[in-house]
Amino acid sequence: MAIAEEPLPYGADELDVAILGGGVNGTGVARDLALRGLRVVLFERNDLAFGASGNSSGMIHGGVRYLSVAPHVTEQSCRDSGYIQSIAPHLLFRLPFLMPVKSSRQARVMFELIDAYFRAYDDYQPLKRGKPHTRLDPGELARLEPGLRGSIVGGITFDEWGIDGARLCVLNALDAILHGGRVHVHATVETIARVPGADPRGPGARYVVEARDRRTQERLRVRTRAVVNATGAWSPITAATGGLPQSRVRVRPGKGIHVVLDRRVTNYGIVSESIDGRQIFIYPWQNVSIVGTTDDDYYGDLDEVHATSEEVRYLVQGVARVFPAVRAARAIGTYAGVRPSLYAYGPNEDALSREHAVIDHAADGAPGIYSMIGGKLASYRIFAQELSDLVAAREFDSTTPCSTHARPLPGGESVPDAIALAERYAVTPVAARRLVYRHGGVAPRVLERALRRPVERHVVCPCEPVLEAEVRHVVREEMACTVDDVARRTRLGLGACGGMRCAARCGQIVAEERGLSPGQGLTLAKEFLLRQARTRIVAMGPEQARQEALALAHARASMGEP
Amino acid sequence: MVLGGGVAGTAAALAASRGGASVTLVDGGTGASTLSTGAIDDVPWTEAARPLAALTPGARSLLDALAAYAVPDAGARVATTAGVVRSARGHDLALLDLGPLVGRRVGVVACDRPEWDGAALARAWGSDFASLEATLLRHVDERLLPAADFAARHDDPARLAWLAERLREALDGAAGSRFEALLLPPSLGVERERARDLSARVGLPCGEVAALPGGPSGLRFERARDRALAAARVERTLGRAASVLRGGERWRVLLEDGRALEASAVVLAAGGLIGGGLAYTPGDAAEASVLPPAARAPFALTLDVPAAALGAHGRPLEIPGSLFGTPPESLAWPFATDALLERVGVLVDAEGRAAPDLYAAGELVADAARTWLRALESGLRAGSAAAREGLTRAAERSPSAPLAPASRA
Repeated sequence: MAIAEEPLPYGADELDVAILGGGVNGTGVARDLALRGLRVVLFERNDLAFGASGNSSGMIHGGVRYLSVAPHVTEQSCRDSGYIQSIAPHLLFRLPFLMPVKSSRQARVMFELIDAYFRAYDDYQPLKRGKPHTRLDPGELARLEPGLRGSIVGGITFDEWGIDGARLCVLNALDAILHGGRVHVHATVETIARVPGADPRGPGARYVVEARDRRTQERLRVRTRAVVNATGAWSPITAATGGLPQSRVRVRPGKGIHVVLDRRVTNYGIVSESIDGRQIFIYPWQNVSIVGTTDDDYYGDLDEVHATSEEVRYLVQGVARVFPAVRAARAIGTYAGVRPSLYAYGPNEDALSREHAVIDHAADGAPGIYSMIGGKLASYRIFAQELSDLVAAREFDSTTPCSTHARPLPGGESVPDAIALAERYAVTPVAARRLVYRHGGVAPRVLERALRRPVERHVVCPCEPVLEAEVRHVVREEMACTVDDVARRTRLGLGACGGMRCAARCGQIVAEERGLSPGQGLTLAKEFLLRQARTRIVAMGPEQARQEALALAHARASMGEP
Repeated sequence: MVLGGGVAGTAAALAASRGGASVTLVDGGTGASTLSTGAIDDVPWTEAARPLAALTPGARSLLDALAAYAVPDAGARVATTAGVVRSARGHDLALLDLGPLVGRRVGVVACDRPEWDGAALARAWGSDFASLEATLLRHVDERLLPAADFAARHDDPARLAWLAERLREALDGAAGSRFEALLLPPSLGVERERARDLSARVGLPCGEVAALPGGPSGLRFERARDRALAAARVERTLGRAASVLRGGERWRVLLEDGRALEASAVVLAAGGLIGGGLAYTPGDAAEASVLPPAARAPFALTLDVPAAALGAHGRPLEIPGSLFGTPPESLAWPFATDALLERVGVLVDAEGRAAPDLYAAGELVADAARTWLRALESGLRAGSAAAREGLTRAAERSPSAPLAPASRA
């Protein structure tokens, strides 16, 4: 580990914990520690939820797959799912799944086994307010989901919760800020060095963390007693930054992609099997349907993860076995992320553990530095609690208990009635409904903006829809710096028109709010359109091709090459 | 017979009619021309080089027949709602040409509508522009009305006079800043452009910005087309063609509703991907749980024309080595430059001929720049050649018949 040689400039901040990574683990820890009264700072290289957290399946599931091998994991997952539902009730939506059983020689036995398996899962469902499973005959299945095809002997239902993972990260970060924390986005940590002369066993700051704002090139510098590496698949890179052995925080990066369809094409989530026997899904999620997911070892650039048409076809083929209409459905895009699974050489990707581990770097001669490895969206809170318990007790002698399961996330205190809001603030009810989904109890505060400036009632993105007031709110209050960031927080531009109608306007608003020039705003819009076009083309079908031709022609006509 | 009622089809029908042919135009509905924004180009504007290419006399006379567009020799400059002031070869007459106004103060009229933040746009367009507070909306529903419907309200002369009064009031109220022109959201009429009337009433040049697709400019094109085709006595049929097949010496055009029409020569101008003349046809797009039915070329004509070959870069399309189709990454921007998606179309010769007596025009033509004026000129070429060839064939078939139409050609 390097020693910071230059003396610290006067006024350099001294805080308790620096957290690296703005995914769900990093923001979860930041919130947890901030609620315990510790002074935290979080650095995120890209945007909050840029990596795996914002590109997951968008579910808070109960860990049904661990039921046979580690029932305690299932119990813990279900309990935590219940906690998340109670702290952010607006952000979760019920997602019932159907699991059809295809006829085969062992179909009867399979059906009984699956039924028994989910009967066992039912024991844990009350922990997350889930409904018990039901057993369906082929006729009932066909009535519930008329698009199911093939010879099916029956099926079962099971209940899960859907969530917007990006919003979950943002809410955790916001709550950390509300409790005195600091969050820097688009700031990449370049060095973690020892404070010269600091006694590793004594109290006070031990590490200097230096980051660079990637947009302004401004250098940020803090001194902290503890450092938490929560950078997911980036973890080995982060460790190397601090002079720690990368092998200690090795992950096995697994790329997972999802295909987004233009509408809710099924009534329920449907479980299907891919050509190599993996479980894949199609499910309605917010205003769209999602097909997922793949799991393949990844060696590429973590800042540029994209789906390929190969992966899209693999998924579509797998779902088409039970739901053939998926081939004719209109895919409007894809997204891709990289799971930071615990490292193992040998097992195939699906057999890797989704469990998590805390690495204490005291063993590497760096006491006070911890890495969070593995984990999944659904278990972020308990993982953050485990790490925070350790850091609080060991580094700060703090006995303040964790309260992240009991205190609501911002907006989760109470969920207002969208229709009443629509009337009171004279906005379209659909937009109000979406706004309440994303912001819960904060929605009225967003709409107050529109009372002060009536133009902010206008819908900027008609597909989602997103009001101008919300765009300004997320730039001002939720750290959005680019059109991409706004899209991550509001789903602006991620609908059927591909940003054709909203990107330029959103760029103008972001520029205005952040004091950028209009030209810079246009550049942000172009960057967004270019990035999104890459994610759409790989899943392009006949109807989408028309839309692509129109969107490109329009972008060229109105702003030049995006 | 001309299949397609966009810019290319209209030009072909007018040209063929001027060439002495009796013309039927089959119009299948909205396409890229109806979605046009009001800026018209010959080459993509970002690639436009000076000096500008002069309009051909034929194109000039077609534009005169449409009577809705200006193509100044010096080119034009139009503002877009993306916050860009761009060059254009010409423009819909309702648009304000900013070319002659460089260095002068242009008022951006504020209006409480979704696509329009006058102040932000004025900043984006540059220092010549400043926001002007005025009342444009007369009724509360106009806040959310689609742009074309809002524009249609100004077809009413009384409403236009009301708007002129409001603008005059606003100008008087802003007496401190001297405006020399006014820029408005897409709003000035659908039946005809009302910008000239408004300018005369206000006493300053007034005009629109280029619209989003689906704005009033596309509808104004349709009205101008309807008037020009009616004046040229072109017969119109609403419907979509299903197939164009050889029936002896003539073409048989079968419409989707079952009607069959015949013609000596046919111009295909049904549009490209946007207009619906072309379709992207990956092998796995059909609803199927097993293998896709067949390996197919990645694009196809949406109507059955065995005599026309699709291609790009001057050669016919090939069947890919995959039942699932060509990977889209190799077909489209931003993965591939000069991509098939933007070049594919019917292969034609210099006159727009795909086969004897069969022509293609507009976005349906392979390797053509997909611009408004190129569509017009390709329609003009195909229409003229089709009339010439069709009349010659008709004369060959009945040598004793009077040659009155041919002599006009």
